[in-house]
Amino acid sequence: MAGDLIVALDGVAFGLLLYCVAAGLSLSLGVAGVFQLSHGALYLAGACLAWWFAAQGTWLGFVVALLVGLATGAAAGGGLAELLRHVPDHLDQALVTIGAGLILVEVLTSGYGAQARTVLPPPGLDGAVTLLGRAYPVYRLTIIAVAAVLSAALHLTVERSRPGVLVRAVAADPRHVATLGVEPRRVHLAVMMAGGALAVFAGVLGAPILGPAPGLDTTVLTLSLIIIVAGGLGSMRGALLAALIVGQVHTSVAVAWPTAAPFLLAALLLVGLAWRTHHHLITARVA
Amino acid sequence: MITLTIAGVAAAARTTAARRASLPLAVAAAIAAPWVLDAYTISLGSYAIVLGLVAVSALLLTDVAGLPTLGQGAYLAIGGYTAATLSRTVTSNGPLQLLAATAAAATAAAAVGVFATRTRGTTFLLTTVAVGVLTQAVASRATSITGGDAGRSVDPITIWPATAPVTRHGYLYLYALACALAVGGALALLLRSRFGLTLRGIAAAEARVQANGVATGRYVLLVYVIAAAVAGAAGAVLIAVRHTIGPSDGGFIVSALALLAALVTTRTMTGAMLGAAVIVAVRDLVAPALLAGHANILLGALFLAAAAGRSIARRARLAADPSTGGFP
Repeated sequence: MAGDLIVALDGVAFGLLLYCVAAGLSLSLGVAGVFQLSHGALYLAGACLAWWFAAQGTWLGFVVALLVGLATGAAAGGGLAELLRHVPDHLDQALVTIGAGLILVEVLTSGYGAQARTVLPPPGLDGAVTLLGRAYPVYRLTIIAVAAVLSAALHLTVERSRPGVLVRAVAADPRHVATLGVEPRRVHLAVMMAGGALAVFAGVLGAPILGPAPGLDTTVLTLSLIIIVAGGLGSMRGALLAALIVGQVHTSVAVAWPTAAPFLLAALLLVGLAWRTHHHLITARVA
Repeated sequence: MITLTIAGVAAAARTTAARRASLPLAVAAAIAAPWVLDAYTISLGSYAIVLGLVAVSALLLTDVAGLPTLGQGAYLAIGGYTAATLSRTVTSNGPLQLLAATAAAATAAAAVGVFATRTRGTTFLLTTVAVGVLTQAVASRATSITGGDAGRSVDPITIWPATAPVTRHGYLYLYALACALAVGGALALLLRSRFGLTLRGIAAAEARVQANGVATGRYVLLVYVIAAAVAGAAGAVLIAVRHTIGPSDGGFIVSALALLAALVTTRTMTGAMLGAAVIVAVRDLVAPALLAGHANILLGALFLAAAAGRSIARRARLAADPSTGGFP
C-alpha cells in the first residue's frame, strides 16, 4: 500500500510536469491559433540542455541550463509565431512544425548520441527523505513543488490578471481587442514565447527523472495532445485533471500492469471525446 | 526553387488535359519500372507504393472529406499485423491476407471512429495523432501478437493456392502495384458516386449538407472506415513486399510522411502516389548520398518546402480570384 502511494506520488510529479508542457501547447493553439507539433522536440531540447550543462548535477550548470532553456524556448516560440503569421492554414502549420521538429530532433540526437542519458539532480536535491517508511527522492518532491507553483501561477495569470484577460479576449475575438488599441499579433507572440519557454523549462526540470532519449519527443507530444484533447481544448482545469490522470497511468498503471498503459491512455482520450460531446455542427476554424 | 517547381507542377496538373494524360502515363511508367531499375531501387518502389496507399488514405480524409489526419499509420499497423498473424497461422496467400487486413483495419476504425468522428478540424487532427502514437505504443507492448519492438517476420506470400511463393523483388513490386491499382480503381468509382459528392459537400459546408436532410455524421464515420481500410490494405502490401513489420512502421513519422505525400503535389490519388515516390527517393536515395545518417534533416526540409509551396500557391489563387479583387 505504501509502495503504491509512493508510485502515485511519482505520477503526480510527472503529471504536473506534463501539465506545464500541455498548457503551453493549449495556449498556442487556443490563443495564437498555432498548431504546434514541435512541442515535444522543444521538451527534448530542454532535456538535452540539462545533460550538456548539468549532467553531473551542479547548481551552476543546472541554473545555466534553466536560464538558457527559458531563453531558447522563448526565442523558438517567438520565431515560430513570426514564421507562422504568414501560414494561416492549420494543416500547413502542422507541416511546418513537423518539419522544424524533425530537423531539431535530428540535430539534438546527433548531439546527445541517440542513447538514453542520465542527468543527476543538483547537490542538496539528490538525496532521499523518508516518506511513509520508505526512501523517496527529494528531487521528485522538488518537481512537484516547482511544477505546482508554475501551474498555479499560470492559472492565476490567465484567469485573474489583466494580461490574462487580454489573452482570453484575443482568443475570443482578436478584432475586438485590436479596437482597444492592443495588437493581437503581440499577444500571439507573447503566448507563443511563453509556450516555448514552458516546454524547454519543463524539459530541463524533468531531465533528472526523464533524461534525453530517443522517442522522448513523441512521447511528450502525444501525452500533451491527449491531455488537451481529453481535458477539452481551452479548458485549463480539464487539462490539469487530464494531466494528473495521464501521470498516474504512466506511472502507477505502468508499474502494476505494463501492457495496459497505452490502452488506458487511448480509453482516456476516447472517454474525454465522448464526454465533451462535440456536436457535429460545431465545425472548427480549420480549412 | 523546389517549392516553386512543386507549385508549378501542381498548377499545371490542375488543368483537365494534363490530369487526363498524367494517369495513363504514370501507370505505364510504374509498370515498366522492374524492367529498367535494379532490385534495390525496385524494393524502394514497392515501399513507395505502401506509403502511397497510406497517402491515398490520408488524402481521402484530409482533402475529400475535409478531415485533416495524422494517424493513418495506425491502420497500416493493424492491417500489417493482421496479415502477419494470418501468414504465421493460417495461410501464405497474399490476396487473402489483403482482404483480412482491410477488414481488420475497417473494424478497428469503426470502433475508434464512433468517438473520433465526433470532432472536426483541429481537434480531429489532434485526436488522430494521439490514436496513431497510442497504436504504436500498443504494438510495442502487446508482445504476444506483435512480437514487441523486434516486430514480426513472415514467409513470402503466394498469389494462388498451391503455387510457389513469390520472392523476386520485381514480381513483388508488380503485386503491390496491382493491389494499389485495385484499391485506387475502387476509390475512384466510389468518389464519383453520390457518396463522394456528399463528402465534398460536407468538406465545404457541413451545416448546409445537414440542412438538406443528410445525416452527415454517418458519412463521416463511413469515410473514416473506408480510409482506414485503404491503410489496412497498405499494411498487407507491406507484409507482402518486405516480409516484416515493427511498431515504427506505423509510427507518427509514417503518418506525417503520408500526409505530406498526399498534399505535396496535385491532391489526386496519382499525385499522392507520386508524392510518396518522391519522399522515398529523397529519404533512401538522395539522403544517403548527401547527408549519410541524417535523412530526417532532408525530410524536415521537404515538409517546410511543401508548406511554403502550398502557402505561395494559396496566395496566388487568392490574387487571381476576381471576387476578392486580388486582395487576400
